[in-house]
Amino acid sequence: MNLPKIHSITKKLFVALVGSFLLLFLLFHMTANLFILRHDDGQWYSDFCHFMGTNWVVKIFEIVLLGVIALHILLTVWLAITNRLARPVRYHQASRSKTHPGSKLMMWTGVLIFACICIHFYDFYFVKVGVVKGEYMVKVENLSKLDAQAMEDEAVSDVLYRAFNEGNISEDGKWIRHINYEERTILKERAPESDPEPDFYYLTREKFSHLHIVIGYLVFFLILFFHLMHAFPSVFQTLGLNNYKYNPIIEALGKIYTWIIVLGFTAVPILVYLGL
Amino acid sequence: MKFTLHIWRQENARAKGHFETYEIDNISADCSFLEMLDQLNEKLINDHIAHPVCFDNDCREGICGMCGLYINGRPHGNDDGVTTCQLHMRHFNDGDEIWVEPWRAKAFPIIKDLVVDRTAFDKIIQAGGYISATTGGVPDANNILVPKHIADQAMDAAACIGCGACVAACKNASAMLFVGAKVSHLNLLPQGHPEAMDRVKKMVCKMDELGFGSCTNTYACEAECPKQIKRQNIARLNRQWIGQLFGRDRNE
Amino acid sequence: MKLDSKIPEGPLSQKWTNYKAAQKLVNPANKRKLDIIVVGTGLAGASAAASLGALGFHVDIFCIQDSPRRAHSIAAQGGINAAKNYQNDGDSVERLFKDTIKGGDYRAREANVYRLAEVSGDIIDQCVAQGVPFARDYSGLLDNRSFGGAQVSRTFYARGQTGQQLLLGAYGALSREIARGTVVLHERHEMMDLVIKDGRARGIIVRNLVTGELERYAAHAVVVATGGYGNVYYLSTNAMNSNGSAAWVCHRRGAAFANPCYVQIHPTCIPVHGDYQSKLTLMSESLRNDGRIWVPKKKEDAEAIRAGKKGPNDIPEEERDYYLERRYPAFGNLVPRDVASRAAKERCDAGYGVGPTGLAVYLDFADAIKRLGRNVVEQKYGNLFQMYYKIVDVDPYENPMMIYPAVHYTMGGLWVDYELQTTIPGLFAAGEANFSDHGANRLGASALMQGLADGYFVLPYTLQNYLADQIYVGKIKAEGPEFDEAEAAVRARLDGLLAIGQVENGKCKVESDATQSAAANLSTFHSPLSTFHSVDHYHKALGRIMWEYCGMARSKESLATAATKIAELEADFYQHVFIPGKVAEMNPELEKAYRLEDYFELARLIVADATQREESCGGHFRIEHQTEDGETLRDDDNFMFVAAWEYQGHDQPEVMHKEELNYEHIQIVKRNYK
Repeated sequence: MNLPKIHSITKKLFVALVGSFLLLFLLFHMTANLFILRHDDGQWYSDFCHFMGTNWVVKIFEIVLLGVIALHILLTVWLAITNRLARPVRYHQASRSKTHPGSKLMMWTGVLIFACICIHFYDFYFVKVGVVKGEYMVKVENLSKLDAQAMEDEAVSDVLYRAFNEGNISEDGKWIRHINYEERTILKERAPESDPEPDFYYLTREKFSHLHIVIGYLVFFLILFFHLMHAFPSVFQTLGLNNYKYNPIIEALGKIYTWIIVLGFTAVPILVYLGL
Repeated sequence: MKFTLHIWRQENARAKGHFETYEIDNISADCSFLEMLDQLNEKLINDHIAHPVCFDNDCREGICGMCGLYINGRPHGNDDGVTTCQLHMRHFNDGDEIWVEPWRAKAFPIIKDLVVDRTAFDKIIQAGGYISATTGGVPDANNILVPKHIADQAMDAAACIGCGACVAACKNASAMLFVGAKVSHLNLLPQGHPEAMDRVKKMVCKMDELGFGSCTNTYACEAECPKQIKRQNIARLNRQWIGQLFGRDRNE
Repeated sequence: MKLDSKIPEGPLSQKWTNYKAAQKLVNPANKRKLDIIVVGTGLAGASAAASLGALGFHVDIFCIQDSPRRAHSIAAQGGINAAKNYQNDGDSVERLFKDTIKGGDYRAREANVYRLAEVSGDIIDQCVAQGVPFARDYSGLLDNRSFGGAQVSRTFYARGQTGQQLLLGAYGALSREIARGTVVLHERHEMMDLVIKDGRARGIIVRNLVTGELERYAAHAVVVATGGYGNVYYLSTNAMNSNGSAAWVCHRRGAAFANPCYVQIHPTCIPVHGDYQSKLTLMSESLRNDGRIWVPKKKEDAEAIRAGKKGPNDIPEEERDYYLERRYPAFGNLVPRDVASRAAKERCDAGYGVGPTGLAVYLDFADAIKRLGRNVVEQKYGNLFQMYYKIVDVDPYENPMMIYPAVHYTMGGLWVDYELQTTIPGLFAAGEANFSDHGANRLGASALMQGLADGYFVLPYTLQNYLADQIYVGKIKAEGPEFDEAEAAVRARLDGLLAIGQVENGKCKVESDATQSAAANLSTFHSPLSTFHSVDHYHKALGRIMWEYCGMARSKESLATAATKIAELEADFYQHVFIPGKVAEMNPELEKAYRLEDYFELARLIVADATQREESCGGHFRIEHQTEDGETLRDDDNFMFVAAWEYQGHDQPEVMHKEELNYEHIQIVKRNYK
């Protein structure tokens, strides 16, 4: 088999570039998650999700992101395999060299993170695509776009009726909430202009009311913590942006970054669970 | 002091190796690790128990880079900044069990027992780890000015003794610290500039070709280097590799 | 045997120029048709091979270690001398030449030393161009420091690792030639014999140390650059694998061996601390600038210290004997190496030695720390203090260091003429392996200079002069009766050594037929458990004899004792040495055994040479010949010659030839340390 020949350092450069992209993305993702903490009945968060779900630039970005994650996994697995081959016979005694714990565990934390991301996809991204059932919502202003045929459709009006009767209107009056999967299907089929979208604000808050999910989420970020602790300075090292002078600064920045990410993300489930 | 030694025995490159256990007593705390092995060998010969254990060693003052054993999970054992010959038995406790293994890497095949073949390092150097200066045709030494801090940094990197502990320690058996140190030494100095880009390219290609792993920034190499060569040399190598990727190739 | 030193005509300063102007050259197209064998990859060997390869010759280079970079040149700490006069302190070629001759106690050949001084500056240029990171001052210019035996600062250095950096430079140059294909490297190969065809050195027999196989290599010329023979003393500052065998097999084949008794003993080494000890570690001579050497004044105190009842800090100031300051008030602790070494031995022999073995003296920095402060001392000697601490586990800032002299360098070696050619045509010797430049004593920082001078700037010329007419000979093939004979002899020798201890239950454990017959000749049955000993056992015993009776101070009686004891030990060795394993495998015990075999002969020759030299000079001190103050007393009328010995066979005493030293240029004076 003739794999394209890529030099070890070049391979590493790609991992670093792809990794730094993901580092930036995490920062962005965290900021968005913090919107959930606003006691605005999801006003900001839902608007944000709507923007993310509809903007075409974001759609391209979405594909790029998936590609980047795939590339990150592909490259690191490739590296791991070649690295493994570089020592066909292992040592009997486990290494006791003094190193950062994060660095030695990168592969394993990576695998766990991948597993968690799959769950994350199951919970959120697949809900959006409609593969997995969740809760949905419809923009009130979209109702005015409905054509006559849709308005007269009995099933559609049942759905809307139930929503209005149960008072499932968000505080700012922009959204009709708590539409279930079957109702979404009806709306999608019979009144496509209503454009139902997943209610992430509600879904998230609902999930974080369960203790086991909160704990699972915290464990995930503990794993990510180790991954990032190593990843951040590693990017600089691999890109050669490291010397005796900058090294302490980079190390410090790496720690600050990791703590911000981890605290920012984990604040959401903790505060939501505590009802704060 | 008394020790239980588990030593890797392997008759030759093709043979299958195994651990052999030996007991040794009356070892002085001031004795070096290799002198302890000398005494073991003396015992093996005198008591006709087994063939003496083969291990590489030469200067026994920590500069030639010939010795190197993987002792209880650490290259050169549990003291920092020393080679195996400068590791003293006082760093162990009486009655300790000691596991002694050879360097393990695809690029360092075992020759016999604890002796490994490190000619891969020579091949990397042959690929470009030098400055081409034909004997005689060179300018006066003081015609080449080298700022003191550059000379000092080059010297830090040049202190590498080529023992292979970096490769042995690295979970990926990567030689990046070795290559990084040599590239840093030569490319920092003005004398090394004309061949700098070529040197990086050739040495890294050779390193890949010989089956060393890639660096995953674990820095076990830095922790175990008997000359305490720093990871910044790897960063410099990476930097220069990028430069080489985008720079003009002098050979094309 | 005729010793023709082939010194060129003309005034001293013009000799090398004249030589180069008149020498024969080889056409560039013909160079690749000429093969050269270089044995050894230290400074001399690596630099010679690199330079010859760059010229276009085809070179085969051999080393016993796994890489050329392991050669023991790497361990030199202090620096390298060169008459650059960068410090404007009055240095010149002439002054370096004079210092070296004087340092060698007027026992070196004038013309060779002058050439050494002449090319010393070129060495620095060459090394800098290769990227040797010499110390720099803040302006970016090269820095210098001063060393013993000189009044100028002419020593270039790279921290405490000058030898390492110079060797890596030469190794780099060598690696470049290997990559170009002009030099072929054979690592883990040991020279076992020299092959002479038609009166010229034409090849070598080597043993592949990995497989144990014997291999043959042929060439138009052979260069031996395999270092000194200090390990004949077992404990020395040399590396474990450093040995005198390559030079010695050349000697056996007819090359004269010169001045073997000139052995340099370095005063500041970490003392022996047990029987198991394998080597001694040097502490830089520079420590004596600030350290004060002492032993207790009272024997009771020394005994208490040896028994561990007292520590050095328990001895009050007035109970300490600063014996160097007492005996040599003018030079104090800075007397030359040989004087300091002998004085330490004298005190220890008299029962005042300290340390568990009683063979150590104190080197105390308490005064220096009080006077300069710990920081200054740390800046000056920090790395040495740390090294001491790592080895001895005693903090030298709190307790005085313990030191004792140890064998360090051998000035003697293969006799060579001005062209570095031995008495066998086509066989050249370079670096410590030859005898030429240091006389009876070597100055600090001169070994590196000599090795590189020989390799970079002398051999490329003189070897070419030799090879010029060899182009007519055609390619030398590694075949013919001479090669067969040499290989068979080596094989017989190895099998014979293994056979000594290989008898068990009347059967031989070695498969080789030759061994079986040899083993069968041993009529008595020896149990390896009872009477047989390892090679190291004999080597240690030989070392003790040499150190005791032919070490720092020698007398007619001690030398006679040495001769007897060596003979006894050697006889026992040939009956009771037990070497496990086979010839055809990696077998370090066998390597040690055949090297030790050569050390026995060498030891005999050292003793013979020391006995013959009825004077004291440099590293050779005969207690019968000393001044009232215990200084060396030369006898210039009778002993101003190089003793070149000719091998006569294993059991025969060697025959001495004299090369008279004629000092035309230099004024001979008494060395006075007061």
